[in-house]
Amino acid sequence: MDHGNIDDILATEEKLIPSSGFLASVMESVREEAAAPQPIPFPWKLALPGMLLAAAVLGFGAFELVRALLPALKSSPIALPHLSATLVQPLEEAGWVAMALGASLLSWLFSRRLAGRSGLL
Amino acid sequence: MSELARSASGTVAGEDLADVARVLAGDIQAFEGIVRRWQGPLINMAWRYTRDRGRAEELAQEAFLRAWRGLAGWRQEGSFSTWLFALAANVFRSELRRFPTVTLPLDEAPEPSGPALQHSALAARMSHDVVRRAVLSLPLRYREPVVLFYFHEMDLGLAARTMGLPEGTMKARLSRARALLRRRFPHLEAEHEAFELAGKEA
Repeated sequence: MDHGNIDDILATEEKLIPSSGFLASVMESVREEAAAPQPIPFPWKLALPGMLLAAAVLGFGAFELVRALLPALKSSPIALPHLSATLVQPLEEAGWVAMALGASLLSWLFSRRLAGRSGLL
Repeated sequence: MSELARSASGTVAGEDLADVARVLAGDIQAFEGIVRRWQGPLINMAWRYTRDRGRAEELAQEAFLRAWRGLAGWRQEGSFSTWLFALAANVFRSELRRFPTVTLPLDEAPEPSGPALQHSALAARMSHDVVRRAVLSLPLRYREPVVLFYFHEMDLGLAARTMGLPEGTMKARLSRARALLRRRFPHLEAEHEAFELAGKEA
């Protein structure tokens, strides 16, 4: 298959010669990189108990909030959509899972923020 | 012999392996051998992505730094150069996504000068440069196969491995890219056909 002149033009191109300082510049960056201290890993062992505790507290707080709000919602004049019993249970479970995930995410973000402030990250 | 051709000979591959082993053993200076051997090809590859000499050197430097960081992760399944080119292509692609080169849309790329002017070597050179720059106006999925195919001296397999694509996909994209370029520069094809015809008649 003949691709013609475009092939010839693109295939024949003058080669660039690296500038004189290029090699030295790359090696300087490499040496800097090699001399830089290794990043300190996140102290999971120290942080994990605190994160778990925070997640538990948040979860408990959310649970208590829902429990306190449920009677008020039931007696409110706002008409809640009627769901069949087969739907209610999975939805409730999904809600708890979502809440637990949210709480975990919040505690993780909070701990990262703290670690960032203290220069650990 | 070009660096790309020399790499296929096996001599360079052996030198690369020896230098990589020394670097991994803690000898930073051994990386200089790698940079010395591959600086030309990497800068020329980056040049084909950007058409900007300063930026090409910056991108090549970044590729070497990434190679330095990732050297321990090279599984030595293929040649060092294949790994280095694939890594460099990734670096160039992601950097150009972050900061694209300023290019004209393909339809606005100026048509190269007519045949009368092309008797002058300078005019021919300028018209070739317009075609080369027009490659940068192609959509990225077609641009990169063109860049790598011609950079690898029209070795489809090597270009496909650098991009991490099957050869068939590479070939299809290349064909589409050529069609786009031919549509943009129809006179180049006409000239080529006339030249071929003249050659046959002679």
